[in-house]
Amino acid sequence: MLAIPLIGTLDSMRSQVATESLLQTIVTHQARVAILDITGVETVDTMVAQHLLKTAQAARLMGAECVISGIRPQIATTMVQLGIDLDDVVTKARLASAFEYALGLLGLTVSAVGSR
Amino acid sequence: MPAVPIADLDGVLLVTVGEELQDRTVAELQRELTERVVDTGARGVLIDISVLDVVDSYLARALHEIAAATALLAARTVLVGMRPAVAFTLAELGLTLPGMSTALSVREGMAALR
Repeated sequence: MLAIPLIGTLDSMRSQVATESLLQTIVTHQARVAILDITGVETVDTMVAQHLLKTAQAARLMGAECVISGIRPQIATTMVQLGIDLDDVVTKARLASAFEYALGLLGLTVSAVGSR
Repeated sequence: MPAVPIADLDGVLLVTVGEELQDRTVAELQRELTERVVDTGARGVLIDISVLDVVDSYLARALHEIAAATALLAARTVLVGMRPAVAFTLAELGLTLPGMSTALSVREGMAALR
């Protein structure tokens, strides 16, 4: 499982670099799930939003599932207004829920040790 | 000797695509694979494309057709080992192969067909 936290302003250049390293790391680590966390991203333009979608689709083609987490309310509104369809991509509100979902996909759970 | 080798591994047909893949070879593979699925009664088909650094729209469509055809013959097709650059280019072209199963490696593909 991989998580890539993106922070700050995402422009086309940065998102491209992020995509390349994410997809490459999926191969190197044979990761079945990749979480793209954009909690730290303030704004998203059309290009970047499309890019995120394509990254998720590319990950799926490679045999991994990409989960996008931490989409801010403003960004969600923008994306809807821009007509960007994230229907075939799993999105979660928080990184924690994305993590939980990813564990579920891998058939794992987290439990307390030695609780009595 | 077929242009693309097809190996029968315990009810799963493993197709290892070579570097030089021509449209004619693809058409041949498409025909041969469906025949082999019927002959062997395979429950799955794994297509390993990890050596390809280009997948064009013709091949993408052919893969899609193979998956659809084998599905009719009760065998599930899993596409294995697509390279990052190939995957991103296909996504850019809008060729997202909806409904197609994918896996990172042959091992995972086999696990998915178990």
